[in-house]
Amino acid sequence: MTAPFSSLSRRAWLQRTSAGFGAMALHGLAQGAANPLAPHPPRLQARAKRVIFLYMAGGPSQMDLFDPKPLIQKNHGHSVAAPLPEKDKHVSTAKLLALGTEIPVRPRGQSGVTISDLLPHTAAIADELCLLRAVQADNNQHGPAALQFHTGVTAEARPSMGSWISYGLGTENQNLPGFLTIHPGIETRLYGSSFLPAAHQGTPVVLPAKVTDPAIDFLTDATTDSATQRRRFDFIQRMNRRLIEHDAADVRLEGMVQSLETAFRMQTAAPGLVDLSKETEATKKLYGIGGKATDKNGRACLLARRLSEAGVRFVQVTMDGWDHHGDIRGNLPKSCAAADQPCAGLIRDLQSRGLLDETLVVWSGEFGRTPWSQDLSGTSPIEKHGREHQPDSFCTWMAGGGGKAGFMHGETDEFGYRPVAGRVHLHDLHATILHLLGLDHEHLTWRKLGRDYRLTDVSGEVVREIIA
Amino acid sequence: MRRYVHPWCLVVAALNLGTLSSRAVDVFRDQVEPILRQRCYECHSHAGKIKGGLTLDSPSGWQKGGESGPALVPGALDQSRLIKAVRYATPDLEMPPKAKLPASEIAILEQWVAAGAPDPRVAAIVAAKKGVDIEAGRKHWAYQPVRETAPPPVRNKAWPLNEVDAFLLAKLESAGLQPGAAAEAHTWLRRVTFDLTGLPPTEAEIAAFIAAPSPQAHERVVDRLLDSMAYGERWARHWLDLVGYAEQIGTEGKIFAEHAWRYRDYLLKSFSADKPFDRFIREQIAGDLLPAATPQERRENLIATGFIVLGDVDINSIDKLKMEYDFVDSQVSKVGTAFLGMTLGCVRCHDHKFDAIGQQDYYGIAGMFRSTKTTFRTNLGIWSNVYRVPLPEMPEDRAAASEHQKHLATWHQEKDKLTAELKPLEAALKDKAHTESPETKKHRAELTTQIKTLEGKIAHAEYFDPGKPQALAVADVAEPADMRLTIRGNPYAQGDTMPRGLVRVAMWAPQPQIPARQSGRLQLADWIADVRHPLTARVAVNRVWQKLFGEGLVRSVDYFGIRGESPTHPELLDYLAHRFVKEGWSQKKLIRLLALSRAYRMTSSAGENAHASENDPENRLLWHMNRQRLDAESIRDAMLAASGRLAAPAGGPGLPLEFPENVSGLPLTPKSNHPQFAIKTERPSQNYERTLYLPVVRTGTQLGSARLRDVFDFPQPAQITGKRNETTVPTQSLYLLNADLIRQRAADLAGDLLAATKDSDPSRIARLWLRVLNRPVTAAEQADALAFLKDTSPGTPAAAAWTELARALFGTNEFLLRY
Repeated sequence: MTAPFSSLSRRAWLQRTSAGFGAMALHGLAQGAANPLAPHPPRLQARAKRVIFLYMAGGPSQMDLFDPKPLIQKNHGHSVAAPLPEKDKHVSTAKLLALGTEIPVRPRGQSGVTISDLLPHTAAIADELCLLRAVQADNNQHGPAALQFHTGVTAEARPSMGSWISYGLGTENQNLPGFLTIHPGIETRLYGSSFLPAAHQGTPVVLPAKVTDPAIDFLTDATTDSATQRRRFDFIQRMNRRLIEHDAADVRLEGMVQSLETAFRMQTAAPGLVDLSKETEATKKLYGIGGKATDKNGRACLLARRLSEAGVRFVQVTMDGWDHHGDIRGNLPKSCAAADQPCAGLIRDLQSRGLLDETLVVWSGEFGRTPWSQDLSGTSPIEKHGREHQPDSFCTWMAGGGGKAGFMHGETDEFGYRPVAGRVHLHDLHATILHLLGLDHEHLTWRKLGRDYRLTDVSGEVVREIIA
Repeated sequence: MRRYVHPWCLVVAALNLGTLSSRAVDVFRDQVEPILRQRCYECHSHAGKIKGGLTLDSPSGWQKGGESGPALVPGALDQSRLIKAVRYATPDLEMPPKAKLPASEIAILEQWVAAGAPDPRVAAIVAAKKGVDIEAGRKHWAYQPVRETAPPPVRNKAWPLNEVDAFLLAKLESAGLQPGAAAEAHTWLRRVTFDLTGLPPTEAEIAAFIAAPSPQAHERVVDRLLDSMAYGERWARHWLDLVGYAEQIGTEGKIFAEHAWRYRDYLLKSFSADKPFDRFIREQIAGDLLPAATPQERRENLIATGFIVLGDVDINSIDKLKMEYDFVDSQVSKVGTAFLGMTLGCVRCHDHKFDAIGQQDYYGIAGMFRSTKTTFRTNLGIWSNVYRVPLPEMPEDRAAASEHQKHLATWHQEKDKLTAELKPLEAALKDKAHTESPETKKHRAELTTQIKTLEGKIAHAEYFDPGKPQALAVADVAEPADMRLTIRGNPYAQGDTMPRGLVRVAMWAPQPQIPARQSGRLQLADWIADVRHPLTARVAVNRVWQKLFGEGLVRSVDYFGIRGESPTHPELLDYLAHRFVKEGWSQKKLIRLLALSRAYRMTSSAGENAHASENDPENRLLWHMNRQRLDAESIRDAMLAASGRLAAPAGGPGLPLEFPENVSGLPLTPKSNHPQFAIKTERPSQNYERTLYLPVVRTGTQLGSARLRDVFDFPQPAQITGKRNETTVPTQSLYLLNADLIRQRAADLAGDLLAATKDSDPSRIARLWLRVLNRPVTAAEQADALAFLKDTSPGTPAAAAWTELARALFGTNEFLLRY
């Protein structure tokens, strides 16, 4: 830009942004550097460079998939004397009927990591997984629990995990946000940046059913041809430049001009990135693209790989349908069929591209499900029962990124209700994810109202046992 | 397991003698201490962490105990928290947290405690953690009384227009800085109009002011703006940012807050009427406890307490105790932040780390809200809901009620009639021999549909009965009580009872007496609204200052504590606070003073003032006006105003629940889930109403044209924030380039300009500039715009070309900034 604005403010501007005019977003506070997305090295030695979080919304049943319980199996249909606290008693689960698992969960591969026959593709990559079997959250409702998984707390609006990581590490690709979330649900707080600079907010991506539909909000305008838009864009920038020339240069004005440039470029760059047609048939097949049950999640996982490969620090893929309150035996296989191949395909694809070592993949719901059955109707036979939410213990797996491969950590009691060893609270899980990225969860903070906030709130310990 | 040999019989004897036997010492050293060291010290020792305030590395540590009292009672296993914790007997008290100890270790600890817990270690390790020192804490400037200050003398006597200017100029002069030049007349007019009303000035207002910008003209503008309804709308929205307001309750499902709008309208009226701020405080904290002369006043008082309940609450939690504690916490935090600039929320779990606020202070106020009805358990599943009170009936309610009854009666009649008609047709079907003609079959289907529609209407009307006005509000519980403090905020781990009371560090008198059977909210309100309160007026005037000058005199507007920012102009802050109170807590008088100052007229450009740029780059001494990005509401409202389509002030419910199809889950049955909203039909007028009146939802994107909020830094309703973020991200630029809303407003504006058929294109361009940028167009711009129109639509510029031009202006930085 050659505008003759005050040399002084130009100098001030340059002092505040070491990246010159490459800033995507600007924030007036000293703790928000002029280019918050510039990549910066982590404090600690990093095992992983980026994260792909496969979020199974609704709460997959850990005992049906990963943590078999003989006691429950043996007592199927009968009441068990479970240690359920009074405050968690619920009419539809009050009988505490043990609900056995129909499809077996078996040890797999060399490592013996236990996985259900419902997840054959995942079972085949068992030796890559680090299975946590005693993960614990604090709330048994979807909203607060999902919020805690994503932001560390069950209420308020705090920065989400992806935002913290983007804030901690910046992005490796200046044409893209540091945090993208594919198929997010309706809760915007799950990818919000809250008090962190908005540049760290997750950008939602919805893979279009039709090729013409935009995958990113407001990316295109079907009513205006590109020549007309270009003319308007140029007119706006001429006006903006005149304003700067007229005595009004400041950091924000420069940032706004840059932001408009970036947006204009994104209109042409982003569609190419979300276009999966260039991938080989073999790759598409690996993810189950084209398959009736697996197409949507397969495309989402493949896109996650592309974005991650392009340098996006945190990519999330949300797969819903895990909230099996009724007929879990009928419904769980469907959710598994939709998620199994895409998730396993992603691991294999990352592996074959040599990306798995530096990419941490995390697979989890916001909580698990009770070992005893739930019957909302009050009249169904046990075979048609479902399971209620259970935050006290559930299963999460990780792959790549410096976690131990082919490893199981944590044990639950004989009911599969509470951890007896190797408990990993969500704060611990968050601390560990940050640690693998080279970030110290107690030092990755943002000061607001005099307090240093962090993802792990006031607790959390790195789970060293699961680090390779 | 190895059989454990019981060693304590010897110890007991030794203790009876008043000394520790060497055997006891050995047992402790060999068996007990290693367990404590290995299992507990990491979190409970002076060398490690001191979680929950508990240390176990000295006898005095467990004797004093943590926040919940002594960790163990020698000889009494069942009263010893440490034993309870290691036994994992209580779900919320399990230590160590990661895994239960082996049975053998638990046995050793049990036997040790049973034997009287002989502990040979040095008696005490000097406590690393000190309690709250109130007297020392009070020395912080914000807890000192407000001083009556006088404007200081200045050298440049011509510059100040009022006292505010004298304070500012004196600081600038002593720093060797010059105040900025005056902004152009149209810049001041745009600035003051947006700041006071959130709207741009009209073409006529601009013309009138620019023609003669005399001092009286400035005053006339400010007075006109203060008198406008738009002023109340603007400042009501500012206050809503401190409330966590939404028309949705909680975040689980889509539960409507169908009465929330009454609080929003209450704010609107309060700001418009310039209700004294002390009164405004009392109404919101304790309106239900205030006397009222008329039913109307009683109504306002009740609605005002919506402040307490209109926040995020987890109403679908099974754990109701935790839900209630969390809600109380959000209320204590909100009162602290909104009125006092104090962060009380931290103190739920521990004494404040920086400010002299102890758990006693937190639970003193928490007990008042715990003694207040703010939620109730519904009979729908496990749902709770926010408390509501019936409002005193007004004549218009009676009219609405009778109208409502009339409708219901008509619908019932219609339904009966249709049912009577349907019955024989259905009865006939029972006869297998009967063949139904196609016409009859069609008629029967129609009747069934009509009946179903009527039933839906009736169920809907019975649920939303307009004849029974209610407000989301509060009342005292039957048995108000003090609250016990909790360990790290856990409602199941309770410590000592804390008497209800106020925050000591900001008190000037003894704790007030709370009358029996009262929550104490009235005493809380009286304390906050007292002229002697060191924080209330300062926080309030600072909020107003920030809205007008872009940054507060205390830049951390929501936090005046130790770690907050110090005031840049402490004497001015006190002057304003004192004057605010003296002038009857009048916000309008305060705004008038600020808006008519010389400082408020300064240019926002740093310009060529190199000396000031070097010495005060952050503009802390205010040598030029700060620029602000228009907030989401102003961006949308300004486009509406420019297009000439802005609807008259509305008020009333935001969510269009009057359309039965927008409400699911009715009629209620014994097994019903809570009815929820799913907006399928929008009220068409809402596209043209000010953004304030559009519903605010807590989950998902904002509805309809309110979607713009999500793009331009509208705070999440769960956030309490006096100063919004002003971010610059590409998403905003994409929105400006491509969003349909911008195109529609541009099309409306283009249409309006073209409707004046006699206007020439240059005069239309001039009007376009006045409407969007609120200033005269320059010659260069005029030429550029004409060329743009010609390029876009060769020949005669058509509506499409004008739309593109208007769209372009809405995308400029000049439109987006108030400078």
